[in-house]
Amino acid sequence: MTPSPTATGYAHREVTKPPNWHGLVVWDVMLNAVTTGVFLVAAVGDLARPTAFAPVAAWAYPLALAVLLADLVCLVLDLGNPLRFHHMLRVFKPSSPMSLGVWCLTAYSLPLTGLAACALFGWRTEWLHPALLVVALPFSFGSAAYKGVLFSTTAQPGWRDARWLGAYHVTSALAIGAGVLWALAEWLGASEAAGLLRWATAGLILLGVYPAVRFAVEFRASRVVMVVVTVLSFVLPLVLVATPQAAWVAAVALLVGGYVARSALVHRPHRS
Amino acid sequence: MAAEFDVTARGSPAADPPPGILGKVMRHLLHPFRRGTPPQPQPATGFYTDTSVCIGCKACEVACKQWNQLPADGFAFTGNSYDNTGALSAESWRHVKFVEQFDVLRSLRERVPGNGGGTSEPLAERAEHSPADGRLSLDVIPPPADRWLMMSDVCKHCAAAPCQHACPTGAIVYNEFGNVYIQPDICNGCAYCIAACPFGVITRSHFDGHAHKCTLCYDRQKDGLVPACAKACPTASIQFGPVAELRERAAKRVDELKQRGHAAAHLYGNQRTEAYSELHSFYLLLDRPAVYGLPDDPVNPWVHMRGDYLRTVAFGLAGLLLTLAVFLLAGRPA
Amino acid sequence: MPGLGATLGRGAATTYQQDLANADCLLVMGSNMAEAHPVGFRWPLKAKENGATLIHVDPRFSRTSALCDVFVPIRAGTDIAFLGGLIRHVIEHDKWFREFVLAYTNAAVIVDEGFRDTEELGGLFSGFDPTDRTYDPQAGHWNYAGANGKTQHKDEGNPGTHGYGHMGGGEQHPQPQKDPTLRHPNCVFQILKRHFARYTPEAVAGVCGCSPEQVVRVAELLAANSGRERTSTIVYAVGWTHHTTGVQIIRAAGILQLLLGNMGRPGGGIMAMRGHSSIQGSTDVATLYDLLPGYLPQPTTDDAHSTLRGYLDKETLSTGYWANMPAFVVSLLKAWYGAAATPENEFGFGWIPRVDGDHSHLVTTDRMARGEMTGYFVFGQNPAGGGMNAGMQRAGLRALDWLVVADWFETETATFWKNDPTGPPPRDVKTEVFFIPAAGSPEKEGTLVNTQRLLQWHNQALDPPGDCRSDAWFVYQLGRRLKELYADSADPRDWPIQALTWDYDRRHPHTLPDRTASRIHDEPDTLRILQEMNGRTADGRLLQTFGELKDDGSTACGCWIYSGVTPEPGRNRANERDRTPGNPVEPNWGFAWPLNRRVMYNRASADPDGKPWSERKKLIWWDEAEQRWTGPDVPDFEPTKPPTYRPPAGATGMAAIAGDTPFIMKTDGLGWLYAAKGVKDGPLPAHYEPIESPVGNSLHPRQPDNPTVRTFPGPLNPLAAAPTADFPVVATTFRLTEHYLSGPMSRFNSWLNELMPEMFVECGPELAAEVGFANGDWVTVRTPRAGIVCRALVTSRIKPLRVDGRAVHQVGLPFHWAFAGETVGGNANDLTSIVADVNVSMHEAKVFAVRVEKGPAGGPGLLPTKRPVAWPTREPTPGTPPAAQPEGGYAHGG
Repeated sequence: MTPSPTATGYAHREVTKPPNWHGLVVWDVMLNAVTTGVFLVAAVGDLARPTAFAPVAAWAYPLALAVLLADLVCLVLDLGNPLRFHHMLRVFKPSSPMSLGVWCLTAYSLPLTGLAACALFGWRTEWLHPALLVVALPFSFGSAAYKGVLFSTTAQPGWRDARWLGAYHVTSALAIGAGVLWALAEWLGASEAAGLLRWATAGLILLGVYPAVRFAVEFRASRVVMVVVTVLSFVLPLVLVATPQAAWVAAVALLVGGYVARSALVHRPHRS
Repeated sequence: MAAEFDVTARGSPAADPPPGILGKVMRHLLHPFRRGTPPQPQPATGFYTDTSVCIGCKACEVACKQWNQLPADGFAFTGNSYDNTGALSAESWRHVKFVEQFDVLRSLRERVPGNGGGTSEPLAERAEHSPADGRLSLDVIPPPADRWLMMSDVCKHCAAAPCQHACPTGAIVYNEFGNVYIQPDICNGCAYCIAACPFGVITRSHFDGHAHKCTLCYDRQKDGLVPACAKACPTASIQFGPVAELRERAAKRVDELKQRGHAAAHLYGNQRTEAYSELHSFYLLLDRPAVYGLPDDPVNPWVHMRGDYLRTVAFGLAGLLLTLAVFLLAGRPA
Repeated sequence: MPGLGATLGRGAATTYQQDLANADCLLVMGSNMAEAHPVGFRWPLKAKENGATLIHVDPRFSRTSALCDVFVPIRAGTDIAFLGGLIRHVIEHDKWFREFVLAYTNAAVIVDEGFRDTEELGGLFSGFDPTDRTYDPQAGHWNYAGANGKTQHKDEGNPGTHGYGHMGGGEQHPQPQKDPTLRHPNCVFQILKRHFARYTPEAVAGVCGCSPEQVVRVAELLAANSGRERTSTIVYAVGWTHHTTGVQIIRAAGILQLLLGNMGRPGGGIMAMRGHSSIQGSTDVATLYDLLPGYLPQPTTDDAHSTLRGYLDKETLSTGYWANMPAFVVSLLKAWYGAAATPENEFGFGWIPRVDGDHSHLVTTDRMARGEMTGYFVFGQNPAGGGMNAGMQRAGLRALDWLVVADWFETETATFWKNDPTGPPPRDVKTEVFFIPAAGSPEKEGTLVNTQRLLQWHNQALDPPGDCRSDAWFVYQLGRRLKELYADSADPRDWPIQALTWDYDRRHPHTLPDRTASRIHDEPDTLRILQEMNGRTADGRLLQTFGELKDDGSTACGCWIYSGVTPEPGRNRANERDRTPGNPVEPNWGFAWPLNRRVMYNRASADPDGKPWSERKKLIWWDEAEQRWTGPDVPDFEPTKPPTYRPPAGATGMAAIAGDTPFIMKTDGLGWLYAAKGVKDGPLPAHYEPIESPVGNSLHPRQPDNPTVRTFPGPLNPLAAAPTADFPVVATTFRLTEHYLSGPMSRFNSWLNELMPEMFVECGPELAAEVGFANGDWVTVRTPRAGIVCRALVTSRIKPLRVDGRAVHQVGLPFHWAFAGETVGGNANDLTSIVADVNVSMHEAKVFAVRVEKGPAGGPGLLPTKRPVAWPTREPTPGTPPAAQPEGGYAHGG
């Protein structure tokens, strides 16, 4: 019989403590990707080809707002003391990605509300709409950009080494946004926008391959997660780009793939 | 928006809430936005923990809990030597670690005479060579090969603290003593500081959902008292004082230990490295930091933030431009 | 205590803890000082910082070992063998301090030629009576040659009488026959040399389980750090006393320190670390049954003790300081009986109860378990949890009619009738239990007398809650009611109660530190009690020193050794905390008995001519110009007696003590390497195995264990026949820093419980592999008395030892758990046995034989009797603004 193990010491242990981030945070990261992705792609389309994108945009902004609100609910409920959410607004600390993100999300939510209201009530003015878009764009972009950096700017195993996490998150958000809008356009019968979005989806998925690969390597993602995410987020949507009728399937694949990747991301420190 | 020092504002007459539910709500909403005058900065204070004289009595843990009225962290027998606290947490701001080094050093023991290795080295002869009127020459006594290392761990009070960078509410501040302090009335429990700390110091309390950690007895310091743990430490393993003075004392002690054959004695966190700031709570260790559950080379996550943003923004903009290009160029009648 | 008393004159630590920092080498043995006395351990560490060598000799590698330079593992219960090895090495290699030994010890004294040593009698000394297993020192010729002093009578060798009287001292002829060349075959030195000759490093190693080199190494380190220029200290605690050979272990340490010249000198001496708070004080004021306050022998049923005259004639030593005993005794009687004590009634001497046998705690427990007792008061003690053979203790409690327990919490002793997992259902327990809520130490004032004989007053910080009262209140009020009850009695047996002075009412308003009046009006005035101990003259003046005591009834003194603590009205030296810069002795911090001497026998810090042995180690010296002894400490000598003083023939009292003999409590002023009187199991220490041991005695094969040990056979207290194969593992009990004694003060506190939440057995990986359990598993540890379930803490700190040619496993059991409190668990004291050594009726908790078994899975299934306090409460601390609330409390800040 081998001698019993004795005191184990500390050398083999992970020093850091995982933050109390679980399901709500997974949803937060996911919804962040959806709202910013949907808005950014719709806004670019709305500005570049207003006529083609008008029917899609009318649905896209309320959708982005709804998802943003759901995201904010997740964010608030995940706090140790949700009644103190407003404490986030007492300082602006660019050194903290979370502070930056909260301010971006807040700043993004206001013009987005205007845009959604315009869309829902059919107010379409010459100057207000583009003005709101221009104001919302950088904050929406900031909201997408901070999220990944928030995770990579920590001491947690997996996250701390993920230099490409932010880039992965933002490209993935855009791809998801494009995919969702593509499906929306197909459903609305906005064929011109659908055609454009089909190509945008394909292009954004391909753009995301590089950061995704770099991120997966640094993150040391599990093999199962890698296969699932590769198939759902990259292979399947790319294949489906050829068949316009499958827009819905592609969008769902992108969403599920994005969720699986983010779930693996958020839970990574708890596995160490 | 600097002014993060609103500690002194608490308890001021202005804090009297107007009556009624509405008053309570108003107070709750407005309370965090009040501002006070930052106190006059003082020389930075900190801890110097000399593990070579720690006897593992855990008086620091108990003194800390008693002074700060922290709850017990649960009754769990771990089997990891005498460490049943397990880790630092929101409820345990001091944690004494126990490292048993016995069989791992067997090979060493066999080389060092007279430490249980059954050597026949004639020690009597060696002792007789010692000077007659002075003390017994110290090199006769090599440091024992079998070791039970003990160390009282605590918040490192980093000079540039990741938790402070991370905190989105401004709850974590440097107080006038240069200590990292979580204002308990501001923290909203986002847990980012927990994720940011490379030493695993902070956790969120089950009781109030807020992050807590060692305050370096801010309240005692303000009254001119020594932190409870340092006061309770019977062997001066935990020393408190102005950091500059502690560093001097510590350097002297390392030299002394090295002379006595503790080749591995070194200070941890007394100097900044490329990747991390100096610590205001630093340690004298007798082995590699990892043995004590400390990162050998801590990295401040913020050294990467700029690059991470750059990559993110670059790929984000690339995506937007790509989208724009597709929308502008594709599907247009030629 | 007789161990130190018989050797040096006083049964107490010879030095003070701060003095440990002055040592050049420290041997910590029979003590886990870093864990049990962590605050005092700063001084050994200071010494280490100054370059001293710290040695720890112990069965377990403990937190103390971790801080020492040298650790030597030995088998529990082999301390005499190890010390014997050191003594032999020091003698054989001529490492002893010749001038010191010749002048200050009885090395040169010639012993009666009829004396026979263990060497000649197969492990026994001459005078052993196998019928009642006691020694007759007279028949054994233990005395000095041609002695005319009082020899130790056989009946005084009986257990239960004269345990501590005179602190174990005894009379010897002040000017015996001597051979200064130390060559006489019957001189003490030659006897010593022959006695320890068989303790060779190899033989010692074979008994202890260490290596011969380690014995030599420790001896060499001690020898190299002793002499004129250097001193070494020996530190011990209950790891030495809790043995059937405890007194002799301490004797061996005394012999070693005398040989090395480490007595009465800075950084020298023997530091006895006490096991409880103020245990020194409780022996000083005689909570022991066979003592009167100040180590005066309790009168016995002996005919000679029927009158004061007879008692004093028999017990007073004619030379040395104890010659003043009549003054101490009469003053004590005057303090107790006041005006009722007159020369005509022998100052009430007849009212003092006589001892008729052994009424020590364990012997009483044995009687209690046999139904011979009816009632029991328990203050600040927990026999059902912490008493030896706690199962038998509980059986004893069940056989009582009534029991009064005063404590902070409902301890095992208070709840044995309902929560004892091994006991019958509550309806079958007939004992009526009264639980008295006690005040905690911050809730009352009084003195603590610590390990270095230092009286330190502590003030009351706040009133105790509810009905809680101090122990002094309870005893005082009980006494008042008894006096009331018997006030009108004419029965002579009630006279002592009628005559007793019993007035400690407060004469001043009882105020607390915050200047509010105390809620409690009938607390006795503790300072008045201390003043009574200090003593007064007939006109009420407080005494400055016990030198003022008289035997004619003109002085009253409750405890002569405390005289001087309250030298004048309004002054309480125990409450003084003044620093004295430049004087390391810090004479104005508290008050050390006797007469504030911090290092006892400090005359020995100077050579026979009165000059310091060395500049580096000077403490007290003879100032030729001033014609008096001087130095930073209070001289433990007549201040103006010159070194050249030689007693005239027939001198008595202190006049019989020469100017160059520092041990003034001894009748000859010498340190006793050989103790002809004062120790009941032999004039020299010899190694005997513990009562329960898995191996035989390889040093004295014909005599396995101490021949004078008393056992208490019965179904509740069976012993494992030695050496035993059924119980092959050596067990020792030990203390953790995290808990206090059997846990009444710590297992009701969740801050301490979380640090050490469960009972465990500490054992090596080899034993775990042999039995087949892993670290953290539940195991059962069994002795013939009981089996307890606990966790296994498997650690490489414990290693099997090679003893008698085979591997012997050792395990360590902390004795902090039982069935009451927030955390509960197996009780190590359920495993221990009741045996009693002949000198002080001491048990053997520090070593016994056990068997370790796997399981049962799931543990003992005990439930805590107290739920941990939900903490912090949501209620803010009253009267405190939010910003000042405790940082970790719920109410802090917002």
